[in-house]
Amino acid sequence: MKKYTVKQYLLLLAAILITIIFLFPIYWMVTTSIKPIQDVFATPPMIIPKTIQFDAYVKNLIEDQSLLPYLRNSFIVAIGTAVLTLLLSLPCAYAIARFRLKGASILLLVTQMIPGIMTAMPLFILFTKLGLLNSYMALIIGNTTTALPFAIVVMRPFFLTIPKGLEDAAVVDGCNRFTAFLRIILPLTKPSVLTVGTFSFLFAWGDLIFALTLATDEKIRPLTMGLTKFIGQYGTQWDNLMAVSTIAAAPIILLFLLLQKYIVSGITAGSEK
Amino acid sequence: MYSSTKTNTITRTQATKRMGKLSLLKKSLPLYLIIIPAVIFIICFMVYPIIYNIIVSFQNLTILNLKTGGTFIGLENYIEVIKSEKFGIALKNTFIYTGVCIVFQVVFGYLLAVFFNQQFPFRNFFRSIFLLAWMTPLVITGTLFKWLFDVDYGVINELLMNLHIIDKPVNWLGQQSTALAAVIVTNIWIGIPFNMILILSALQALPLDVYEAAKIDGANRFQTFRKITLPLLKPTLFVILVLGIIYTFKVFDIILVMTGGGPVNATQVLPFFGYEQAFVNFNFGASGAVATIILVILMCFSLVYLYLVKKEESA
Repeated sequence: MKKYTVKQYLLLLAAILITIIFLFPIYWMVTTSIKPIQDVFATPPMIIPKTIQFDAYVKNLIEDQSLLPYLRNSFIVAIGTAVLTLLLSLPCAYAIARFRLKGASILLLVTQMIPGIMTAMPLFILFTKLGLLNSYMALIIGNTTTALPFAIVVMRPFFLTIPKGLEDAAVVDGCNRFTAFLRIILPLTKPSVLTVGTFSFLFAWGDLIFALTLATDEKIRPLTMGLTKFIGQYGTQWDNLMAVSTIAAAPIILLFLLLQKYIVSGITAGSEK
Repeated sequence: MYSSTKTNTITRTQATKRMGKLSLLKKSLPLYLIIIPAVIFIICFMVYPIIYNIIVSFQNLTILNLKTGGTFIGLENYIEVIKSEKFGIALKNTFIYTGVCIVFQVVFGYLLAVFFNQQFPFRNFFRSIFLLAWMTPLVITGTLFKWLFDVDYGVINELLMNLHIIDKPVNWLGQQSTALAAVIVTNIWIGIPFNMILILSALQALPLDVYEAAKIDGANRFQTFRKITLPLLKPTLFVILVLGIIYTFKVFDIILVMTGGGPVNATQVLPFFGYEQAFVNFNFGASGAVATIILVILMCFSLVYLYLVKKEESA
């Protein structure tokens, strides 16, 4: 245990205060969802809930189960996106780092300059022609276009830190470059695999653009689209809306609490050129 | 596969001797092969859409002639788009939105970064928990802020009335004069943690001895900030600004959820305008024109970015 001074404990107090103020909206989302409806509409707003109840959750998860297929679809699309992104980005980032391919990062930057919603139009037409519209694959591909540039940018500097001598030794030992990558390099990449996997999952889980445009069939629409349906359905029934929102945010919050180290490192790595 | 150390040294010397150009190519060829899936993906699903948008922007492609393909109509789409009343409003709003968001995000991000750059218990936990705001899906954040900005029971109205800043509830999202501001506030909240983390990591990389020297020389806080911190942070700040501009310019989700571009175009922005062209009016040509215009605007910003990266690399 480190020893802290009084000043540092005061800083801790300030940090708690700042965090409470900043994250108040999240707190408000959760508490709205567990208040009885008359407390939700109380004036002045009830900051600390007097009675806690889970009616909205019972209603949206058990009585009315229309939310569940959306949840399932979101999981399929988010996990699919994470897998596809990793499969594509690992070898690609490795090659870019080893061969110092110039122009690769410039190309990746340019592809990010078109808003997702504008990428969606060509993909919509392309998938219509290929008969891929309204499939999980369409959503996974769409989301991978968002996740892939980020993945490569995060992984490239990581591969640069692995000494090249490592593979050279393996090559001399009879591996070719490919097996050297599989046997020597890949096992070393666990941290960045976690970072990229987490972010790809997050991107896909939160995606609305491709869900809106590439999945017109209710059956494969993910939770974000489900939410917009509930917004229309519930109007100003804020307790129900906030319960549905909390359910939709729960996997994100859980993932975050488990993997925050990798998330922070991903953001900082992503900003390095 | 793995040979003993003895044979290892023998093969090594042989290998170096025989390592001609051919065998070098042979050895690196598999490495070029592993890049192929990613290259195909990038070309098909990321580069192709950009080119498609540009091509279609010169065609009269709509839902009606989608199967047969559009015909070349020159700059008509651009003229039609630019002439429309919505375009001017959307362009103006997108610039206001991006500019105001970036300024506040960077300023708040910087202040928080300075705070979290001090040592105190559980610092890393607090630093990262801020990211919840940034990571929550935009649909959820949008819905949540609609509730916070609610005219009758919203917390924001209540708070501002208690502070006597306003004397009666404001319909933030429901009137033209305040809707854009409300959406901007939402996005500032989302973006602060992201900027904070980036600036913080730059702050932590600053050399400490310079600060000690400044202290000995009797520099005050403001002087240290202006003469040391700011110049040292400049490269990082530029990168953050350009990346921030690119991402903020692409605003779509929270507009769709919070206002749908309304009331009366008050929150109309370029990506949303382009979306309406493609998926509401099914005028793909006009949508392509909007996409191309966005691309050109962001390219200009990025040229600055690339210039700075280059300058930094050569330095």
